[in-house]
Formats: sequence, C-alpha cells, structure tokens
Amino acid sequence: MHVNSSPKRMDVEEARQDLCRRTLSDIQRPLDRLIYLASMRDYNTGVYHHDGLASRFTEEVACEALADCHREAFRELVICPLDELVSQLDAYRSSTHTSPREFLTAWGRLEPYRVAVPVQTDPLSAEFLFSNFKIALAVLESQLDSRPAGPAA
Amino acid sequence: MIQLLFFLLIGAALLSSLLFLVRRGGPRPEGDSRVLMDARRALDALQGGLLPHELVRRIFARDDLDYMVALALPKPVRDLFILERRKIALLWIAQVRTQVSSLKRFHVGAARSYAQLGLRTELELACDFAALLVACQALRFAVYVGGPYVAPRMVGATAAAAGKICAISEQSLAFLNPVQLKPLASGSLHS
Repeated sequence: MHVNSSPKRMDVEEARQDLCRRTLSDIQRPLDRLIYLASMRDYNTGVYHHDGLASRFTEEVACEALADCHREAFRELVICPLDELVSQLDAYRSSTHTSPREFLTAWGRLEPYRVAVPVQTDPLSAEFLFSNFKIALAVLESQLDSRPAGPAA
Repeated sequence: MIQLLFFLLIGAALLSSLLFLVRRGGPRPEGDSRVLMDARRALDALQGGLLPHELVRRIFARDDLDYMVALALPKPVRDLFILERRKIALLWIAQVRTQVSSLKRFHVGAARSYAQLGLRTELELACDFAALLVACQALRFAVYVGGPYVAPRMVGATAAAAGKICAISEQSLAFLNPVQLKPLASGSLHS
C-alpha cells in the first residue's frame, strides 16, 4: 500500500512501459491514442482510470502513467505535419465506420477534439492543434465534395 | 549664515537620498514574491510552451503551405489555412512578447536583489530585452501584413534571442530550484 499521495516516479515509469507494451502498441496513430487516452479520463474529476493497470500497480500510479502517455500523444500530434494529420483523421474516420459526411459534420459542429487535450496543456499548443483540426476537416470535406457521387464509405 | 545654509542644504540632500533609498531599497516580501512567481511562470511558459524548436518550426513550416498548394483546393479552404496560420503566428508572437515583458519586469525590479549579475551582463540584457521587444513588434507587423511565411529568418532570430534571455533569466532564478542533496557516503555516519 502506498502511503504517499504522489506516486513514485519509478513506479509510474514502469506502469507507463507496461501500458505502452500491452495496450498502446496496438494503437499506432497518435490521434487514436489521444482519443483513447482522453476517454480513460473522468470528465468530472480529471482522474484517469484503467482497471487492468490499477490492479497491477495502484490507482494513483495508473492515473499518472495514463496522464504521461496522454501528454506524449498530444505532443506527437501537435508537431505532426498537416498532411499526416489529414491522413490520421481520415483513417480514424474509417475506423469508426461512420459515413464521411456524417463524421465531418459532427466533428465540425461539436469539435470533440477540444475535450481530448490533456490538462495543463499550454494554450498555444492547444490552439495550434485545434486550428490544424479545423483545416484538416476542411481539406477532407473539400476532397469529399470533389469525389464523384457514389455509395458512402 | 552661509555656513548654516550650506549645512541645511547638505542635510536636505542626505534626507532626500535616505528617503529615496527607503522607497527603493528593502525587498517587500509580498511584491517581490509575486514578481518572482511571475518570472518563474514566464520562464516555464517560454521554455516549455513557446520556444521548443519543433513547435516553432511546425507553426511556421512552409511544407504545410506546399501541401495545401499541391492539393489544388478551392480558394475558401486555402484562405482558411492562411487565416488560421496567421492567427496562430500572431498568438505566438503576442505570447512571447508578454512573457518576455514579464521577465523584463523581474530583471528591472528584483533581479539585482537575488542574482549576481555583473554590470556588463545587466547592460547586455537591457539591450537584448529592448531589441527583442522591438523585433516582436516588427514581426507582428510583418505577419499581419504579409502572412505567416513572410519572415522566416525574423522568426528564427526572435526565438533565438528569447532563448538567450531565458538562459540568463534561468541563472537569475536558479536560487528557486530545489537543492539537490548528495547521498550520504556509506561511512559518513560513523565518521
């Protein structure tokens, strides 16, 4: 049992490696990892939950490890070139089995990427990523419009 | 009478110097700690969020523009791209300027009390601050008028100058860093 409220860095690092090895290695794209890790976070408390990781370590260690990986995925996505972001967004859309038009409309209106950023992210990086998402959505929409009409993917 | 006037003048001069020193001198714990905290935050914001090379390069990267041009997208999409990049570029410049101004306030007001900077370093720093703030204004104007890709060298020079100021400020604020204690040698308890 951990007496300290803040977990030891070594434990967190071990948990982070465990998470990368067992779970995140199957999620290749940073965008998918960002969305997956954001979904592990309780919107009301900001605390990350992962039962498997918590059972192997502790709740606190698991939370810190998830937060670390979330920040890393965010950093990767912020510095990725625009063409890669467009490809990642398109691939993510395909993986959701949603029609392109429906997906682009929903993402354009709801801007779900705004709630996917880690806490304490510096405002400029967050704004830059939001701006890139906006452009990437416009590119995909434009490409969709220019395609000949056919059955939805 | 002339002697009395002379001594009165000396007395008045001494008193006014004393008042000046009292007003300027002793560190005020509340004000000083706030300036220190602001400076630390500004330094963290610059080093952690605004100046990392990869982020600056990505914001002003021309390959994104080349990608947009190569796609031959409709004009509204290309306009959106330029508009968004210009917005982010201006935000970057404004934030660098704000944080550098915060560091300048620290150096003007409190750094002398805490940091052992030589006169030469202080003068150089004053020139660097002035040059950087002017460069930020010039860059802001250039980006506003010509767009985000108009002055890549100015961007590089601004980031480098801000990095230099950060390095000097880091030294001035080093006393805030936690002391790293060396582990005790195994025999030290018995010595």
